[in-house]
Amino acid sequence: MKIVHYVNQFFGGIGAEEEAGRPLEIREGAVGPGRLLEQLFGDGSQVLTTFVCGDNYAVEQQDQLITDVLNHLRASGADLFVAGPCFEAGRYGMAAGALCSAVQAELHIPAVTAMGGENPGVDLYREELFIVDSGASASAMSQVVTRMVALGKKLVAGEEIGTPADEGYIPRGLIRDAFVEQNAGQRLVAMVMDKVNGDPFESEMMSTSFEPIPMPAAVADISKARVMVITDGGLVPSGNPDGIEGMAATRWGTYSIKDKDGLDGKDYEISHGGYDPRFVEADPDRLVPLDALRQMEKEGIIGELHNEFISTSGLANPLSNTRRMGKEMAQRVKELGVDAVIVTST
Amino acid sequence: MRLTLARHPVTEIKFGDETSLDGTALSINESELRALLLEDQRLESVGLDVVRPGENCRAGPVFDIIEPRAKADGGSPDFPGVLGPSAIAGIGTTHVLEGAAVTVVDCRPTVTARAAKRSILEMSGEGAARSPYSALQHLVLTPRSRADVPSHSALNATRMAGLKAAVYMAQAARTRQPITTETLGPIGPTEPGREGLHRVAYIGQIYSRQRSPEIDEHIFYGLNTTGMLPVLTNPNEWLDGAVLPSYDTSLGGAETYFYQNHPVITDLYRRHNEGELNFVGAVASISGLDNEDRDRLCQVAAHLVKWGLNADAAVLTKHGGGVPHADMAQTARLLERMEVSTAVMVSDMSRDRRVESALLFNFPEVNAIVYCGGGDTKWTVPAVERIIAGNPQVEEMLAQSQELMASSIAGVVNQQGASHVRAMTY
Repeated sequence: MKIVHYVNQFFGGIGAEEEAGRPLEIREGAVGPGRLLEQLFGDGSQVLTTFVCGDNYAVEQQDQLITDVLNHLRASGADLFVAGPCFEAGRYGMAAGALCSAVQAELHIPAVTAMGGENPGVDLYREELFIVDSGASASAMSQVVTRMVALGKKLVAGEEIGTPADEGYIPRGLIRDAFVEQNAGQRLVAMVMDKVNGDPFESEMMSTSFEPIPMPAAVADISKARVMVITDGGLVPSGNPDGIEGMAATRWGTYSIKDKDGLDGKDYEISHGGYDPRFVEADPDRLVPLDALRQMEKEGIIGELHNEFISTSGLANPLSNTRRMGKEMAQRVKELGVDAVIVTST
Repeated sequence: MRLTLARHPVTEIKFGDETSLDGTALSINESELRALLLEDQRLESVGLDVVRPGENCRAGPVFDIIEPRAKADGGSPDFPGVLGPSAIAGIGTTHVLEGAAVTVVDCRPTVTARAAKRSILEMSGEGAARSPYSALQHLVLTPRSRADVPSHSALNATRMAGLKAAVYMAQAARTRQPITTETLGPIGPTEPGREGLHRVAYIGQIYSRQRSPEIDEHIFYGLNTTGMLPVLTNPNEWLDGAVLPSYDTSLGGAETYFYQNHPVITDLYRRHNEGELNFVGAVASISGLDNEDRDRLCQVAAHLVKWGLNADAAVLTKHGGGVPHADMAQTARLLERMEVSTAVMVSDMSRDRRVESALLFNFPEVNAIVYCGGGDTKWTVPAVERIIAGNPQVEEMLAQSQELMASSIAGVVNQQGASHVRAMTY
């Protein structure tokens, strides 16, 4: 096995924080933890090259670092790229994650790193990388490197990687089906009994905490504002010209309401499989309240109603879809010079 | 309330001169059964096909799968509120043809090939190996309604045909000695001798108001659930014909078979009988139409469990997609706040196979979650020799070699607790 290894200035033996500004050095052979790597890989495995870099330099000059490492690796004939272990060293973890990610994506060379659970590199790179859980303390070095080696061997051999618990990596946040002995009913009853008895139990899924979205500033003067309606209730013109899917939609559309004082059910249909749409089909104003907004426009309560609305269907949609569509819609709204958006849902 | 299940194993179904159970072989008088089913004047014809495990056969779209059962005299009636007047189910002896099933195909001509792909009976191959239904002896019914019968009425006729056939078949066992018997109950919050055990309740959603039920849609003792609040039930009622799945098979992943053999209720009874817990009862609940409806339904369900059943633990299942998912979690949260420990069973919602898309709630106290998977399991199934289809376009689809998702094969992914597929987190 031919390995290329990345370490920071501390594990590279240069020095502690006072040497964090040191630029990238390319050394032949194993350095520091690389010797352990070589030994544990066995079978004549060798660390061809060790990259040593100061933590500050790595974060401040990240693009340059990646370019230099990739250029060197391209011709190296390496089978595996290893970075760290980084434990809770934040800048080290960020650099290791960025390098592993680039090496994997651009050179298709498998990569493995190790970090403690609180390392900021974990949140940034957990989904795309196998990050061995190193814990916080460098005293576990040989244990951590042993796990990195086992995982590295499997990655190079193209073997299927087991569960985080079995392999020792930090969960990537991905799910995969498995067939198990007990049916779901039996698992459910077993779990509640463990819970009510105060015994440890393992939930099959964890909730995700999302960053709170700060409340935007209030519209300074709504009587001068340009207002737009966005709905996820799936209202589309008859024939669904943009082909917006009724479930897990990947598309959204912009539809004109120019010169209209209300919406006629005859002109629209609902592409949404998750609610009883009969009332909206009969009167689409109950989802996109054009009638009321025109009245408010006339009375000067709002400045102006933008002459289009945006629509998609919000049903069983994964976040990777909705995040993208949300950004696209926000971009569009900004370009249109709209001051306020009313979002209606079902 | 006591329910005795008198089980008669069946290893073969065949057509014969009279309907009878001889050992483990069930003979069916085909013309007598057909005449019984065609008493329903909405039906123009009904096909009857015997299908065996391992047979190179595919059928669909599956409207329902029913275990043949018939009540002995002196107990509650068969499918009360549906086949006869309303009465409380779950009392007395029920004869069960174990290992047999009536599988009913939706034969409406308007059902598209795409819609039919949601529920297929697959009897051989890799996918079939993951469904409990492929191990059963099936009588497959294809009831075709007259052209002037409206869609909901055709579905009603389809439901009635399936239930009638199931009862008719099991009546052959009423004069036979069962191979095994099992008596369930009595249970309840006031049963003596259960002191010191955790008092566990089941809350099962039986319908979601995301869709308006048809006027003649039998779900709870024949009621279509309109206006219904959560109801306190004895679990025997669920096992003995009080609850039926919706006409809309896209919502639930539920079949009558797994109400009759309810995986959650069955496991609670097993542990109850082993003295591990005190199974105090079940609540049949509904998920809401809107936020006000949701609050009302969740609160009533939680209060029945806490104050009606005096439970200190509860397990919850859902029926349908996102709205039921959120309502179940909200009910669990209310219970946790009343110091009732909960575990919930969710279906697979993560289309991008990411943990962040898997749950529609983030309640720290709702932290015991069984996650039924299925979203990335698929099989390439071969063309098959024998097709039993609801209409010509479905027949064409079923005949082909094709890729089928786990959720396409009836019994693989199921919201009543029968699923063996779960999602592992990586």
